[in-house]
Amino acid sequence: MNQIGFPLVSLAIALPALGALLVWLTPASQTRVARGFAMLSALGALATAVALVARFDASQAGYQLVDSVAWVAAWGLSYTVSVDGISLWLVVLTTLLTPVSLMASWNAGGAHPRLQQALLLLLAGAMTGVFVAQDMLLFYVFFELTLVPTALLIGIWGGDDRRRAAQTFLVYTFAGSVVMLVGIVGLYQAHGVQTGIYTFDLATVLASLQLGAVQLPLETERMLFAAFLIAFAVKLPLWPFHSWLTTAHTAAPSSGVVDIAGMVIKIGAYGLIRFNVQLFPQAAAWAAPAIGVLAVIGVLYGGWIAFGQRDMKRILAFATVSHLGLIVLGIFALNPQGLSGALLQMISSGITTGALFLIVGMLAARRDSRDVQHFGGIWGQAPFLGSIALVMVLASIGLPGLSGFIGEFTIMLGAWISPVLGWTYVSIAVIGVVLAAAYLLRMFRLVFMGPPREAGAPLRDANTLESLMLGVLLVPTLVIGLYPNALLLMMEPSVQQIAQQIGQTLASR
Amino acid sequence: MMFQISDVPRLLPELMLAVLALLVLGSDVLERWADDPAARRERGRAAAQLTGIGLGLIWLVTLVQGGLAFTIAPAGAAGPLDALLSLGRNLQAGGAERGALLGAFATDGITVMARLLLIGAALVVALLAGDHLPDAHPAEFFTLLLLATLGMCVMAAAQELIIAFVALECSSIALYVLAGYSARQPAAAEAGMKYLLFGVVSSAVLLYGMSLAYGVTASIGGADGGPPRVNTSFAAIAEAVRVADVAQRGAVMLAVTLMIAGVAYKLALVPFHSWAPDVYQGASPTVAAFLAAASKTAGVFLLVRVLTAAFPDVAGAAGANGFTGWAALLALLALSTLVLGNLAALPQDVTRRLLAYSSISHAGFLALALLPLGGAAPLRDAASAALLYYLVVALIGSLAAFGALAALQAAGVADRLEDLAGLRQRNPLLAAVLTIAIASMAGLPPLAGFTAKFAVFVGAWEAGAAWLVVIALVTTVIALAYYLRVLRPIWMQPADDRPTVSVAPVTAVTLALAALALIALGVLPGPLWQLAQAAVLAR
Repeated sequence: MNQIGFPLVSLAIALPALGALLVWLTPASQTRVARGFAMLSALGALATAVALVARFDASQAGYQLVDSVAWVAAWGLSYTVSVDGISLWLVVLTTLLTPVSLMASWNAGGAHPRLQQALLLLLAGAMTGVFVAQDMLLFYVFFELTLVPTALLIGIWGGDDRRRAAQTFLVYTFAGSVVMLVGIVGLYQAHGVQTGIYTFDLATVLASLQLGAVQLPLETERMLFAAFLIAFAVKLPLWPFHSWLTTAHTAAPSSGVVDIAGMVIKIGAYGLIRFNVQLFPQAAAWAAPAIGVLAVIGVLYGGWIAFGQRDMKRILAFATVSHLGLIVLGIFALNPQGLSGALLQMISSGITTGALFLIVGMLAARRDSRDVQHFGGIWGQAPFLGSIALVMVLASIGLPGLSGFIGEFTIMLGAWISPVLGWTYVSIAVIGVVLAAAYLLRMFRLVFMGPPREAGAPLRDANTLESLMLGVLLVPTLVIGLYPNALLLMMEPSVQQIAQQIGQTLASR
Repeated sequence: MMFQISDVPRLLPELMLAVLALLVLGSDVLERWADDPAARRERGRAAAQLTGIGLGLIWLVTLVQGGLAFTIAPAGAAGPLDALLSLGRNLQAGGAERGALLGAFATDGITVMARLLLIGAALVVALLAGDHLPDAHPAEFFTLLLLATLGMCVMAAAQELIIAFVALECSSIALYVLAGYSARQPAAAEAGMKYLLFGVVSSAVLLYGMSLAYGVTASIGGADGGPPRVNTSFAAIAEAVRVADVAQRGAVMLAVTLMIAGVAYKLALVPFHSWAPDVYQGASPTVAAFLAAASKTAGVFLLVRVLTAAFPDVAGAAGANGFTGWAALLALLALSTLVLGNLAALPQDVTRRLLAYSSISHAGFLALALLPLGGAAPLRDAASAALLYYLVVALIGSLAAFGALAALQAAGVADRLEDLAGLRQRNPLLAAVLTIAIASMAGLPPLAGFTAKFAVFVGAWEAGAAWLVVIALVTTVIALAYYLRVLRPIWMQPADDRPTVSVAPVTAVTLALAALALIALGVLPGPLWQLAQAAVLAR
């Protein structure tokens, strides 16, 4: 059980945590030193993630680069982290967004900079942990660990409503994850009773379930499925559990620091694939149509509400709800197309929506408002911001050649040919995509186009730091759009394996 | 069965506690050399320091003698430490006997664990109280603290009704006085009075249950069909219960119910909780810490002894296999405590009162942890270990939280939630300690509270009480809501012009250690789990 090669995966978790500690220990007067520590550790984590990609064997489906030590042997609890095709790119996304969020934090200024950077790094470490944990209880620990820094980031630096928003966020998502804990205990207990092996190890539990060593009665399987589903549906959030997300984004600091870090809220979607679909394929197929309906409602509802908003952050928050609906639709297509489309879309929307949140933050800092009506015709003054915003909007909408297109297209394809969903879902969800074009282009038009609405001080274009962070996000948008295979190739075996398992289960039904 | 001189070492910690209590009381006479404030302060410090040093020593002796954590190898090559090692060896040899002394006083692993917990709690309280001395009669304060600890230790070892009751009264009477110690403050006087009145009634209820249990041994024949074995020992009661017929089981259940009700008051289980918020709020904060940590722990140990030694045959079940016996009683108490305790905590505005309700709700978890103790051997042992684990963590958590509040009060910070505003800037250490303690109580991983709750959940789930586990989990969400009401001002409100808070060094170190322990036990639960298992298996 104990195998430690070079602990590359653990390093990706530990580096940001170490950075957080160093930043916290730096004296308050040494701003530059603190920034240096923060950025170094974030870049170190990014380099580790790149090394992971390099060492990853794209022809294998299972867990790779495993670090495992017994934690509490008596409970079958272990510290096991590794990557597979599903988690690999999400780790890269997390480590890529961390330096950007740090730069956004420098750019925005604000009180207690050391604490803010330390929290951002802690959040990054915990999120990486979520994506690589292959032990159920360890996953839960990291899952909960992401809550505290996020709540503090919202609660200390947020807008007027920050304290209530932080509390809502914390209680809401904690409630969801507690239900997951019930699921974990239930699964642990069922596995222990039936095989005599009490373990939280995901690979072992998965193997027992697939080989039939553990047979869950239909009702039990569905209840466990529901326990995990509730946790992830709240975390995602799936309509109708979305209210905390829009509150949190609205109350989070205008600069977009937290929003971009929170873009990895994709934890919920990841959990759906890792737990719900992989562990309980039968229940997943049973519940897929119902969840598909919720997802489609989310797509339409998010788009519809976003269309009516004037606060740019609220537009983007509802856009997120809409995007996540599409992602869930892809996951519950339960075929390779749907799953890989969902994964791609998770990464793509994380980058594009994150970039848009940052741009909104920059605009808000310049004009002290996020209301679209206080802007207008600023392209002439800030052409760089405008062009990046245009690219990100188009990528979000799904223009071919940019990152959003491939994901959306494969999700639609997957859902269409899926035996459990079908063309009706797709044909309704597609309205949401049209809506996305409408509300995002509307926002872009109102802000950047037309005659300048407010005379007065001209609006500054992006400074070097801002250009740098947007540039960092622009690269993957183009790369994914032009050559998605770079990502898809590595996901392929893992996705195929999951889909194959589901196929077998469904066929044997 | 005779008491022999060689049995004396088995009672060493208790004897040392009694001697220390007399020593503290007696040495105070020598300290009365003047009556100015400086002399009075010095007098208090002397008593506190003597108590602290003595308790530290007793704790170490208990740890070495108990032999749970480590055993010293038999004599090896003579080395520089040999004198010390052979002292330890002698201590362990004296404490190795596990069977019950005179069939009335168990010195098994559970007793050792109880001693470590209770004496440890008293030690922490004595350290905290050194910076927060009572207005008058300091030596008596610490003597009472020691006597209460002595009573609790005996209570946790009792294998017989009379010892159990006498020990309970020994600790209770000392605690009544302690609760009302700062008698010049009306709130403290009220707290002491309330605690006394509730305590006396509950003792009467407990005593009634005990007399019924005693009566059961007299009216039911021996296991071999012979005449009844009239006896107050738990073993005799268990034997009588085993052969009791259905009609006689009614009297048995009545006895169990009354005894559980009597002890439930100690634990502040709903509906026997109404004294707790007032007493925790009114008594001096160090006494509140002692009540929340030690008194509750001792009550749990007494319940463990009574239920597993005297009434294993009416354990019953509280799940899919039926709803009978004391397991069902405990399930009902756990249910009402978890739900009402947590809901009642929500609207509280006074920090200590809020924590009092949180402490009540934690008693619900203790009842949940006691549930599976009537089960079969492997499950029961795992559940007992989980209970011990939870007790350790809850004890440290209460001491850290109430200790931090005591430090705040000593620094002149008022006790409403809004008075905590900006504590992050006013005293980072206290803010961190309070946050860690509360986050641990809320069960946020990777703190000790999470692992402890988790162990309890697994035990109860295995015992078939999955429904109660689900309810308990739901209540933890409610709990998070009110815990956040404490944490929010600390972290998210500016200090404005509130003064900084200073903490005495001993208090600061003690609290920091407690907080570190909560982190360490959460990140590495293994060693404590092994210790708990060893304690359960050392019979």
